[in-house]
Amino acid sequence: MQQDEPTLARLMAAAQTGDRAAYRTLLTEVKRWLEQYFRRRVAPQQLDDLVQEVMLAMHNKRATRDTSRAFLPWLAAIARYRWLDHLRGVYRSQEQSMEDADFVAPGEEDALYARLSLDRLLVQLPDKQRSVIDLVKICGLSISEAAARTGQSESLVKINIHRGLKRLTSLVEKAN
Amino acid sequence: MKKANQTLIDDLTEDLQPIRPVRASHGALWVAGAALLTIALVALLLGVWEGVTSATASPFFFITNGLLAALGGAAAWTVVRMANPQVGNSAGPTLWSTLILAIIPASAIITQAVHGGLGEVMTDEHGLDCALQGTAFGIITAAVLIVWLRRGAPVSLPAAGTLTGFAAGAIGTFAYGLACPIDTLPHLAIWHCLPVGFCALLGRFAVPGLIRW
Repeated sequence: MQQDEPTLARLMAAAQTGDRAAYRTLLTEVKRWLEQYFRRRVAPQQLDDLVQEVMLAMHNKRATRDTSRAFLPWLAAIARYRWLDHLRGVYRSQEQSMEDADFVAPGEEDALYARLSLDRLLVQLPDKQRSVIDLVKICGLSISEAAARTGQSESLVKINIHRGLKRLTSLVEKAN
Repeated sequence: MKKANQTLIDDLTEDLQPIRPVRASHGALWVAGAALLTIALVALLLGVWEGVTSATASPFFFITNGLLAALGGAAAWTVVRMANPQVGNSAGPTLWSTLILAIIPASAIITQAVHGGLGEVMTDEHGLDCALQGTAFGIITAAVLIVWLRRGAPVSLPAAGTLTGFAAGAIGTFAYGLACPIDTLPHLAIWHCLPVGFCALLGRFAVPGLIRW
């Protein structure tokens, strides 16, 4: 069952006091939420790695969760931060590309989810930057393949990826 | 190889210990302590100018130093809150404080340029000394904010670095300003306000590497 924001916030507050049962429930829900959150923005074969990285980051930085504020915007900020690290590190994937994979679109389309989503970040980029980041960093195409697909030169693809990631870094906490 | 998700959940649950949350109010106390320590150091090493204690300094002196204190406070508060990441965090207060402070050097540069006095201000024999001392006194605030950010989980590293520079530069310059007896608008605008921008630039490039996690 999908837990709501108040329940997650309560579980997190209990976890901060050392309640292991609450923490186990929270981690299970967080894993499910993150899988949904990243599904359209990470190649399927990298999804588990990224979800685990975020869960580790959340565990190590759990003291930074402010109990007076909402839980999911905190988790989303950490998830976005790790996702950008992941994009910086990923070049061509030798495995199955995202385009070939079956995936399920997120079921949770409520206002909060939309406000926190990775799409909300990507739409801030110019089309040329967004398209090459999508092709190279998410779908796993090579620079030359992305250049051929978009009609940009290879050096322009690299420049647009660099500028796009830099811009995304400045938008991690942006909600609108 | 990564552990299976369930194993990871088991391990993290097993590792759980009670923690003390990183609270912004504690960070604000750290910064207040750093600012007070900086002011005490200035008073001890340089002495507070009598124009401050007798309130006979020019209005420009109080306006400029008041705005520097406001910018320092706003930037430091924003940095403190950045240790607790949150989609929806905003640096709005610092942006407005910076724009308001920027009116002072902008006014000074325009009026001096029109009246031909810009060269004289730029060659002010005490100017560089003021800029360097103000920047140096910002180191205490910078160190405290960097330690605070390292305890936390900042996710907007360039912004955190820039704002750390703004906060440190503004608080350091404000504290040093209490000892500086030159209270003219051109001197305050060029040699007390502009270095804050330099500190922000320095913070933008030097701090992110220190707070990355």
